[in-house]
Amino acid sequence: MRVGVLCSRVRVEEKLIFQALQDRGVDGERIDDDAVTLDLTGGLDGYDVLLIRCLSHSRALYASKLLGDNGLRTVNTYQVIATSGDKLLTSLALAKRGVPTPRTRVAFTPQAALEAIEEMGYPVVLKPLNGSWGRLLAKINDRDAAETILEHKHTLGGYQHSIFYIQEYIEKPGRDIRSFVVGGEVIAAIYRHAPHWITNTARGGEAMACPITPEIVWISRAAAETVGGGVVAIDILEAPDGRLLVSEVNHTPEFRNSIAPTGVDIAARIVDYVLRHGSGQALEVASMEPGR
Amino acid sequence: MQERGVEYDRLDERDLALWLQANGLGKEYDLIWCRAISHSQAAYALSIFNGWGIRTVNSCQVVNVCGDKVLTSMALIQHNVPTPRTVVALSVEAALQVIQEMGYPVVLKPAVGSWGRLLSKVNDRETAEAVLNHKATLGGPAHNVFYIQEYVDKPSRDIRTLVVGEEVVYAMYRRSAHWITNTARGGEALPCPLSRKIRELSSAAAQAVGGGILAVDLMETADGRLLVNEVNHTPEFHGAATAVDVDIAGKMADYVLQQM
Repeated sequence: MRVGVLCSRVRVEEKLIFQALQDRGVDGERIDDDAVTLDLTGGLDGYDVLLIRCLSHSRALYASKLLGDNGLRTVNTYQVIATSGDKLLTSLALAKRGVPTPRTRVAFTPQAALEAIEEMGYPVVLKPLNGSWGRLLAKINDRDAAETILEHKHTLGGYQHSIFYIQEYIEKPGRDIRSFVVGGEVIAAIYRHAPHWITNTARGGEAMACPITPEIVWISRAAAETVGGGVVAIDILEAPDGRLLVSEVNHTPEFRNSIAPTGVDIAARIVDYVLRHGSGQALEVASMEPGR
Repeated sequence: MQERGVEYDRLDERDLALWLQANGLGKEYDLIWCRAISHSQAAYALSIFNGWGIRTVNSCQVVNVCGDKVLTSMALIQHNVPTPRTVVALSVEAALQVIQEMGYPVVLKPAVGSWGRLLSKVNDRETAEAVLNHKATLGGPAHNVFYIQEYVDKPSRDIRTLVVGEEVVYAMYRRSAHWITNTARGGEALPCPLSRKIRELSSAAAQAVGGGILAVDLMETADGRLLVNEVNHTPEFHGAATAVDVDIAGKMADYVLQQM
């Protein structure tokens, strides 16, 4: 089997993925997304399956579309990348599917956003629709903050900052949960401990093993299935009243900090899924009822 | 200008293409009075006019100082004009640290900008982080230098004075429920008695930045002091017409004619 790995830099994660491919005697080939060109008929021939590990969401999005539409199996699929790469589409899909997620509103002007925020009450969180590593998340504690952040976002402008995505702030117990779902199976979960409300390990959040409870299994699988399966990481918040809420789904998760605490060979599990996908075998673990 | 029998042309900055080598305006002007709205356009046009040897109101140097809050604050401090405590940081990390040391609230301002745009009142660390990260993302010269100032708790108003040459022409209050009092943002212009203290401070602030036609923003502190906040090089004055009974344009024109 020939496996392509479309990526930008080869990070720790990609090194581990290439190692896992080699361990399985599979020919894994790195395709540099800086150099690749694609036409409307695709343009990457000879691969059975393509693992997409681009740093850039837009590259992942259009590569999966061009190649997927031309018959190349991709992990993840366009549907998964398009939905989980956009916080608004993710929230909408989760809400429609009955997967618990924080209350969220969208506004199209700073004025309307300010009104929505005042109605929701402080604190709220503003997030860019795309973006990773906790970048430009804003916790808004009062009207002074709301006014200036909305004005800065408006000035930033562009596609990304012209839609105001407003979410209730969930008071977390100094941590959140990240679970990894591969082909419908929850393979690992970590707590991300941080004194900061932004818990990303890229921002200093510390990863510790998290027991995979039935609730975590249910909400993680439901969230993954909602965006279309594949290889995803689910960010889960524990609300003060004990509910679990899905805050985000990540389509190209980093996992270097999750291996040691969980003892799970995440790269191997991803590669096994990619190989199953490449050979056209049945993929996702049987579906589950989100209503339970 | 017309009433004073002066011959003048309107030069629309949108029509100008200025040769740096020599006066290409097609006419020898004795003086150019700059009322361009954009600070950067005013600053560059004036530097070229002054470079050709044409007198301008204001001078290029004054516009450069007033158009940049860092330079204004430095000029005020060097001339012992009371102004809020101010710190400049060159990175997000340094800015966060110094804000923590100063205590909240603080005000962040773009070094260049008018009409109260993108001013931030920062009441806590989470706001500081969010604002600084957004500023860093905005980037550009106006946003990669962090100008941080103690927040002065004003009595729902500030004072704007107009200085023309040696004369303090008027003072007015700008009343606003919002901490940003610019009339462009809804601040209401009201008459303000021109006390000796206001007169002296306004004059001192205007001279500190080099003098000319200038609007000075003053703030009253809770303990009764007056602080100079900003000096504006191309003051708008239509908002003042309701609050003061002075021929503002006439005063300005007389000053401009004296400079020739």
